[in-house]
Amino acid sequence: MAEFSPVTGRYVTIDVMGDEIKVFFLENGEGQPLVCQHTAGCHNHQWRDLLEDEDITSNYRVIAYDLVHHGKSDPPKNREWWQEEYTLTADYYVAFINAFCDALGLEDPIFMGSSFGGQVALQLAYRHPDRYKAVIPVEAADYSPGFYLDWWRHPHANAAQVCASGVWDLMAPQSPDKDRWATWFYYTQGSEAFKGDLYFYSVDHDLRGKLEEIDGERCPVIILTGEYDYLTTPEDSKRTADQIKGAEFIEMEGIGHFPMSENYPVFKGYLEQALQKIGERAKTTTVS
Amino acid sequence: MTVGTEQSAIETWGEEFRRVSDEDPELQGHGEYYSCSYLMDMEEHEIQVVMHKGKVEEILIDPGPLDKRYQFELKASADTWRKFGEEVPPPMYHGIWSASFQRDLSLEGDLLILMQNLRCFTRQFELLRKTGVPV
Repeated sequence: MAEFSPVTGRYVTIDVMGDEIKVFFLENGEGQPLVCQHTAGCHNHQWRDLLEDEDITSNYRVIAYDLVHHGKSDPPKNREWWQEEYTLTADYYVAFINAFCDALGLEDPIFMGSSFGGQVALQLAYRHPDRYKAVIPVEAADYSPGFYLDWWRHPHANAAQVCASGVWDLMAPQSPDKDRWATWFYYTQGSEAFKGDLYFYSVDHDLRGKLEEIDGERCPVIILTGEYDYLTTPEDSKRTADQIKGAEFIEMEGIGHFPMSENYPVFKGYLEQALQKIGERAKTTTVS
Repeated sequence: MTVGTEQSAIETWGEEFRRVSDEDPELQGHGEYYSCSYLMDMEEHEIQVVMHKGKVEEILIDPGPLDKRYQFELKASADTWRKFGEEVPPPMYHGIWSASFQRDLSLEGDLLILMQNLRCFTRQFELLRKTGVPV
């Protein structure tokens, strides 16, 4: 039986700080743009259920891209990238997202990312509060040291399995097996990029002492974190939200570090809360 | 419980852990190269597990000094191990990384061996949710 998904995939070539990058993205829906960033060492299939959720796509244009070096977004076409170690910096990451949103002509998109995507959501609110309608950092904090490790690509171990099983217990044990294993499967595919991503996640991303400069009323910040996340714990996210003017934090019960991928039905309830809060904020701003 | 019955109970647990491991479809489906030895230090008891090609070769309960021949070790309080053994462990007790980052589990010895066998070891560790733990 053939069954076509309403989700479509396209490529767009963009310039990021001189790099020519052909970006692959999936999209579905109409309305308010909702741009989604996958986690480190992974790709946009983590958003597979959101992309096909009519409750969301009836009002939102959901766009999930593969970051350069991930999934179907190849490394830069105009540079000998293989001559150097891949290390993702905050400056480059932010430039990539801005260039991608500009290329698609997105006006006031909501940006949502998980893990290192959540960290960069905070960076966007800090650096470009007028470019984004709101940000939803998922599993994010001001600073998350400890995961920039050599194990992710140690030549004496099976890097694919080390990456995939190394993040296994970032997920909650009660999340469905099929979705945890899909996430595991994705993680076997990105081991060469994982450590470089984690340079951003655990080293270069450091907003300690800067959170008070983020105006969460100008660019609403709604942080969502799962109770089974041991890397960026709910306490870490709450501490972060408490220091951002106007930010809100929602703890997600019974779910871990990859909520949209490991258990979408549970994540959806919390996402809808976040989107509702953003909608209410927009009304308040319009009225005032 | 007398010392004798306690010893009998823990040996029964060892046999059950062997059976559950050797009959686990995932472990048998992917364990062709799963050969290593490790010690679980549960504060009140130590369990040494020797794996060979996906099968349990030997389980030693409280091995003596001359019998301790393992490659890596997992050490935590008995309370932490009891939480590992719950059917649905509470947050931070749901894996070796969560518990070593956030609780009192320490990983010692030759961790390269652990990383080389991480997929199968992770599965076998989670079988404790089926058998419980002997502490």
